[in-house]
Amino acid sequence: MSSSARWTIVVVLLAPAVVLPLLVGIYDRTDPELWGFPFYYWFQFLLIPVAAVLTTSAYLLTRSERPPRTRAEKADDPAETIR
Amino acid sequence: MNGVAVGVFVFLFLLVTILGFAAARWRRAKDMGSLDEWGLGGRGFGTFIAWFLIGGDIYTAYTFIAVPATLYAGSAVGFFAVPYTIVVYPLIFLFLPRLWSVSHRHGYVTPADFVEGRYDSRPLALAVAVTGILATMPYIALQLVGMQVVLEVMGIGSEDDNWFVKDLPLFIAFAVLAAYTYSSGLRAPALIAFVKDTLIYLVIIVAVLYLPHELGGWGNIFDTVSKGFGDFNTENADAIAAGEATPKAIMPPETLHLAYGSLALGSALALFMYPHSITGVLSTRSRSVIRRNASLLPAYSFLLGLLALLGFVAIAAGVKVANPQQAVPQLFENEFPAWFAGVAYAAIVIGALVPAAIMSIAAANLWTRNIYRAFINRDATHAQEARQAKVVSLLVKFGALVFVLALSKDFAINLQLLGGVWILQTLPAIVAGLYTRWFHRWALLAGWAVGMAYGTWLAYGVASPTQSHFGGPLVLLPWSDTTKVYIAVLAFGLNLLVAIVLTVVLRAANVSAGTDRTRADDYTADFGDEGVQAELDPDVVAR
Repeated sequence: MSSSARWTIVVVLLAPAVVLPLLVGIYDRTDPELWGFPFYYWFQFLLIPVAAVLTTSAYLLTRSERPPRTRAEKADDPAETIR
Repeated sequence: MNGVAVGVFVFLFLLVTILGFAAARWRRAKDMGSLDEWGLGGRGFGTFIAWFLIGGDIYTAYTFIAVPATLYAGSAVGFFAVPYTIVVYPLIFLFLPRLWSVSHRHGYVTPADFVEGRYDSRPLALAVAVTGILATMPYIALQLVGMQVVLEVMGIGSEDDNWFVKDLPLFIAFAVLAAYTYSSGLRAPALIAFVKDTLIYLVIIVAVLYLPHELGGWGNIFDTVSKGFGDFNTENADAIAAGEATPKAIMPPETLHLAYGSLALGSALALFMYPHSITGVLSTRSRSVIRRNASLLPAYSFLLGLLALLGFVAIAAGVKVANPQQAVPQLFENEFPAWFAGVAYAAIVIGALVPAAIMSIAAANLWTRNIYRAFINRDATHAQEARQAKVVSLLVKFGALVFVLALSKDFAINLQLLGGVWILQTLPAIVAGLYTRWFHRWALLAGWAVGMAYGTWLAYGVASPTQSHFGGPLVLLPWSDTTKVYIAVLAFGLNLLVAIVLTVVLRAANVSAGTDRTRADDYTADFGDEGVQAELDPDVVAR
């Protein structure tokens, strides 16, 4: 996998973890309840493990990113495409 | 005052005091006389230590007191702390490894060091450093507020009118903290963080299992709370209509959705601009330590969410306190056996010591590198830098203490609110700088100044039922009558706009952009690459 493809996947993986918690409208309700918790509260608790799984996947993906390399090699972050 | 609770508390406090001093010998380098050692713990912390250290940074005693307090007081917006700590980790995952890499290759200790190297601009670096110090000071002061609340509930301290006599226990606790931070540097909070988190986890797990069981389950707690809030709103309908009271609710109304989201996003972006979180990140051994931690740290968010709900539990348990910040300590006092209440008090107070130590170290690093070395003694040796930082860490803590005790507590809380607004204004220079050199240094400085001024002005204009200025973090969105938004995010938007427009202008006018001393591959360098130092301790001789 090329490094830019890998970084695209990383960003796609991480995007829901950043965007979902900010969209209050999608979880702003009481029902269904779970163990007495209104939906509003348990959904936000649920987002924590979801975000952790996504971040862990992204970590595992980047971990294989680099065998030892030399300085001359091209960088692997999306930044270099921005520059 | 309960003898058993106080005894347990004092025992645990003494335990961490011993640990704090012993930390100077932990993972010891041959030469402690440099900022890399004192201020970054040798830059060699692995995943395990970093998890505790960064966790200790983010989840402070004030968080433990203030977040449940907002829920206790009937504002569901306070629960934004949970989405905030969800959003922050993907951002850390993406941005901070690049800062780690460039800092390790160039020996940067602070974010302002990086800005100086990247933009060749001492004024811009000074702006970043001063903002960092200004934003950190009230944060330290608030850790004291957290400790003070616990000590009050415990009944330690006399009723004397003299502020020094009254708060003598707080004074002693802080003096002890200052002494071991001075001698052990970042190693002290790193070691104490283990104790802190073990205690906090223990207390919270017991609290969220035991208390709901006693109070008829979570369903009953939520029902009691919403009924109580409904009654309050009916009784105070006139005052609410007149704007003299705030309606209570267990969920934010639709007009506050944007406020909730923007508070979460703005705080997440601001968090890793704070010098103390950057200090935590730069003390790690490699890029993957940061990434691995970004996927492990959410465990704390769960803890924080449960802790926040203790505000509701306190209502259901019939805790009545005038100062909502006392709700959770009072809940422990009422519901737990004395010895376990002592453990819980100790958990919160030790929870204040860890971040206070890291924050004072971070502020001292900024002073030393970006003010002392940049403007006062340009040829400072490593030993002089370390000595300077140690003394400044004492001054910073002493300043925070006098601040809280002699001046007003509300003043510290207002400043902390402003600190969040201010620190976000350094984001364009730092984060954009990690990716691109497109922004012009003078444009960034102008954007920063505009963002600082606009944010402060907005915050000044916010009135609350109890305060006529600095009454809260929210303002009405421009061109809207009902929708509110977090001040920091608005100011940040204007900051960015100014920076972009002026960059276009300055580039067109060919104003010198300075020399960039970093190179593209500096941003991806990892442990083991050329020019990235291996772990400095325990056996490797410091530089």
